[in-house]
Amino acid sequence: MTWLRNNSDTPTLDGLLAQRPELLEKYQAFYASIWEAGLVPRRMLELCRLRVAAIHDCEPEWMQRDAQVELGEGELEALRRGDFKPFDAAEQAALAVTELLPYAHHALTDDDVAQVKAQLGDAGCVSLINALVLFDVNCRLKLAFDLES
Amino acid sequence: MSTEPRIASAVAGEAASFPTVLAHTPDTTGKFFDLYAEFWQRGVAPLTVREMTRMRNARVTDCAF
Repeated sequence: MTWLRNNSDTPTLDGLLAQRPELLEKYQAFYASIWEAGLVPRRMLELCRLRVAAIHDCEPEWMQRDAQVELGEGELEALRRGDFKPFDAAEQAALAVTELLPYAHHALTDDDVAQVKAQLGDAGCVSLINALVLFDVNCRLKLAFDLES
Repeated sequence: MSTEPRIASAVAGEAASFPTVLAHTPDTTGKFFDLYAEFWQRGVAPLTVREMTRMRNARVTDCAF
């Protein structure tokens, strides 16, 4: 249980950031822009978000689901253990980059990025990397402050 | 680690750099800098603490930028 005073009964990331309402507003706008930009398929974003949660072993982030993306139990199990075979070529390229960003970003190669660029273009690649950074931050915040969601 | 930027500049005539690569996603980038400005211009923690932790984070992640 988090030691922070929250603005709601459940210690959540939004509740944490609401300690600074202007910060919450801008953080939510930034996060929403990733999903609304349309530069990365929503399903791909969701796969990558869940993989980042699995890498961090962040259960609060893992338990959240995007309402517009349906993933099968087999897909979720594969994501959890880092098996990308069930996914298509574009998703595998994105997941390969996702795998390295939280703790091994220096191991990212030119070819890793080139694979993503080939699928998404420059703008899509930049959008994906932005998304991965935010997913990583969300997990770190939730774990550092022991948040429930 | 690459010695060449992996993404081309989105700004004609300008070399690839942090802002010109982010310019590929102008809406997201604008909101990122709004958030970043909030941290730096209206943060509650002392500026020296914020700068110190920013620099330490750069060392930990080995980010020369």
